[in-house]
Amino acid sequence: MKKIILLSTLCLFFSTAATAAMRVDIYGPGQNIVNLALAAPVTGPQAEAVSMGRDLQQLVEQNLSFLPFMRLTNPRNVLGGTVLMGYEPPSLDFKRFQLAGADILVTCYWPGGDSGTTSVQMRAFETNTGGRIFGKEYARVSAKELPEVADRFCADLLEALTGSGAFFRSTLAFVRKTGTMSADVWLVKPTGRNLTQITNIPGEALSPAWSPDGRFVVFSHIDQKSHALGVWDSGSKKVQRIRFPGNVVIGPAFMPDNKVAVALSNGKYPVIFLLNHVFQKERVLEQGDSINVSPTFDSAGAKMAFTSSRLGGPQIFLKDLRTGATTRVSKNGGYNTEANLSPDGTLVVYSRMTDYGHRIFVQDMITGVERQITYGPGSDEQPSFCADSYFIAFASTRGSGRGVYLTTRHGGEPKQVPTGGGQASFPRWSAPVK
Amino acid sequence: MKRYALILTLIAALAAGFGCAKKSADAAYDDGLTPEMRAAIQQITDARVYFAFDKFDIKPEYKDMLKTKADLMKRYSAIRVRIEGNCDERGTQEYNLALGERRARAAYEYLVTLGVNPGQLEMISYGKENPSVQGSGETVWAKNRRDDFRVVAH
Repeated sequence: MKKIILLSTLCLFFSTAATAAMRVDIYGPGQNIVNLALAAPVTGPQAEAVSMGRDLQQLVEQNLSFLPFMRLTNPRNVLGGTVLMGYEPPSLDFKRFQLAGADILVTCYWPGGDSGTTSVQMRAFETNTGGRIFGKEYARVSAKELPEVADRFCADLLEALTGSGAFFRSTLAFVRKTGTMSADVWLVKPTGRNLTQITNIPGEALSPAWSPDGRFVVFSHIDQKSHALGVWDSGSKKVQRIRFPGNVVIGPAFMPDNKVAVALSNGKYPVIFLLNHVFQKERVLEQGDSINVSPTFDSAGAKMAFTSSRLGGPQIFLKDLRTGATTRVSKNGGYNTEANLSPDGTLVVYSRMTDYGHRIFVQDMITGVERQITYGPGSDEQPSFCADSYFIAFASTRGSGRGVYLTTRHGGEPKQVPTGGGQASFPRWSAPVK
Repeated sequence: MKRYALILTLIAALAAGFGCAKKSADAAYDDGLTPEMRAAIQQITDARVYFAFDKFDIKPEYKDMLKTKADLMKRYSAIRVRIEGNCDERGTQEYNLALGERRARAAYEYLVTLGVNPGQLEMISYGKENPSVQGSGETVWAKNRRDDFRVVAH
């Protein structure tokens, strides 16, 4: 991460005044497809950058393939090829890219060559008008930093187009199971990079959740004798196991003020407690003569979705934390669990048991419309919203074993996150880190 | 002379070693339990309580079995039992952890009602993480929706 800080980003000579008005609406019902062409990276007029330039191009292509609304233009369809005379107007020939169907052209210029430690300038233009959408220089780049540069560029581009670059700025925490009652927490970028194991303790970790400041990952931990709250500190890289009176510690989640809510035993049924900053019980958020588990919050901390058996089978409910009013969210099916509230508070995603396994549904809290967004095969569970309220990660048994997949609020074609093998589940997004 | 003394010392040490080995083997075999207590522990641990899907109420057919367990625990007050609540694979993990706890608690409360000292009991839920039978289908699921009774002290 320190490298990222060192990797200074300059946009001084790419004035914001040139930013075009092109926006991609990924939230509306009629989500549009954007065709994007990558010009060959160059070190000068018609001088292709074949070293780091080519590697960075490949990494950017891999990254952009995760965006379901973006289609990459095949370079073979560009008449005259993609090696250009320059990297910005007037030396750019937009026509050849327009003819190939591209809406956006990305250029990549390595002014000091593309080997050793150098800098790279990346720009995106609207092919119709030639207007610049975005442009930045990434300085002090060496081969080792190329994945970071690709992530930063794609985040910047995504932000310029949609208003949020959270997808490329977030990290997924997930659980990898290695046997019966044996699982640990790992981290990975949604593109599959930076895979890291962060816990290694006997027993089973479940339900990881990031603190909003990115410092902690909390999780439920079960061993042969007890449940506990696991806390991983990214500063010290150490894990604490905190026990509570009672028998269960289920589904912790952070509120925006960095406090944890978690279901703990309190008499006959699990109760959702809010813990203080030193992980001690502060107050009850939800209780009753039924199971209440799996709290999840919007980014304002004003609403809490959770699972409750108060009407018999498990269903999803939403509590307004200011008024205390609780409303039922899931109205179809007899078994709805694992709610996750979108950070903007407008959608609740959850899994429903069907005759064919679990499937993921999204409920629009403004229109009241429910929509199925996954269709198996296998079982689709544990959905989790990215900070952009657009991407959704979930666990599925559709492949060989259980893996982590990405879709969108509209049910975009699921794409597997490479997690290095094994049984991966419980994906949870961090807040974006710039 | 010195050689003989050394050989004699080695023989004595080996004999002592064999003696110790036999003693610890006997201890492991014996473990201080009377046959009656060993039978009681077996009766407590062998019989499980099974549940319907997404339910945690004790079915009538298990009440006699729990009464037998309660009688044995009252007779042997040193016995401490962990009740382990489990679920089948169909439900989701977090909800199943809560359901498993309700299943363990149902047996706990019934045993306490029958006069068992709560200090002899502890509970844990493994949710669906610790199936007794691998596989799918109602026959398998029915065997995994259960309370296990494990003697943790005696």
